[in-house]
Amino acid sequence: MFIFPELNPLEEIALIIGIILTLIGVFCDIVGSIGMVRFPNFFVRLHAATVGTIGGAVYPLFGITLMSLALNYLGVMRYFIATGAFLTAIAIVLTAPVGSHALARAAHRSKTVPVEPKVCDFLKEDERLIEE
Amino acid sequence: MALENFISTFIVVLLPAFLISLSLYAIRVIKGPSVTDMVLAIDCITYDLCFLMGLLSILFKIGFLMVAALALALWAYVLDVYVAKYLEAREVGD
Repeated sequence: MFIFPELNPLEEIALIIGIILTLIGVFCDIVGSIGMVRFPNFFVRLHAATVGTIGGAVYPLFGITLMSLALNYLGVMRYFIATGAFLTAIAIVLTAPVGSHALARAAHRSKTVPVEPKVCDFLKEDERLIEE
Repeated sequence: MALENFISTFIVVLLPAFLISLSLYAIRVIKGPSVTDMVLAIDCITYDLCFLMGLLSILFKIGFLMVAALALALWAYVLDVYVAKYLEAREVGD
């Protein structure tokens, strides 16, 4: 209506919010990949992985949901794309933190990754207390 | 028609960012010092591919790509859990 003459105002708002969320997602992708290369340690790289998954996949998939609902020229296919993107975003936001927590716990308990620059390690002290 | 041209241009302009980020993740997959680093980077690659599939399904007007994206997301979770289980217990189990 204001920018695109073939859309009504509700679709136009959804399209603009979707474009903004997609741009946020691309920015978080690049930032997360740079962090994944530059960070020194596995337990620090978990932070970059979180930026790359939640910021880089969940937000833009919600954005694709809104954006594809607004696009008239896709026909019936836009409901298909919107439903698939919404379900994928829900699946990622539920499973990605669980997976990274399980991976961090396994890396600490199996001692494959040394906890190198550290001040204190409460998890190791707890394990020693349990063994005694 | 102007809307379709605008959306197509927007998606095509975004594609080199995916090239940069996927190649930077691939560096970590190749030279990662431990197994968990590689698995973490593969997770990030998979979730990025889900996002890329969403954009490509709008660009090519194929809605069925999103089913593949859902399967990819669940596959990454299965990889996480199996590698964690193997590292802790030295067996995969059921």
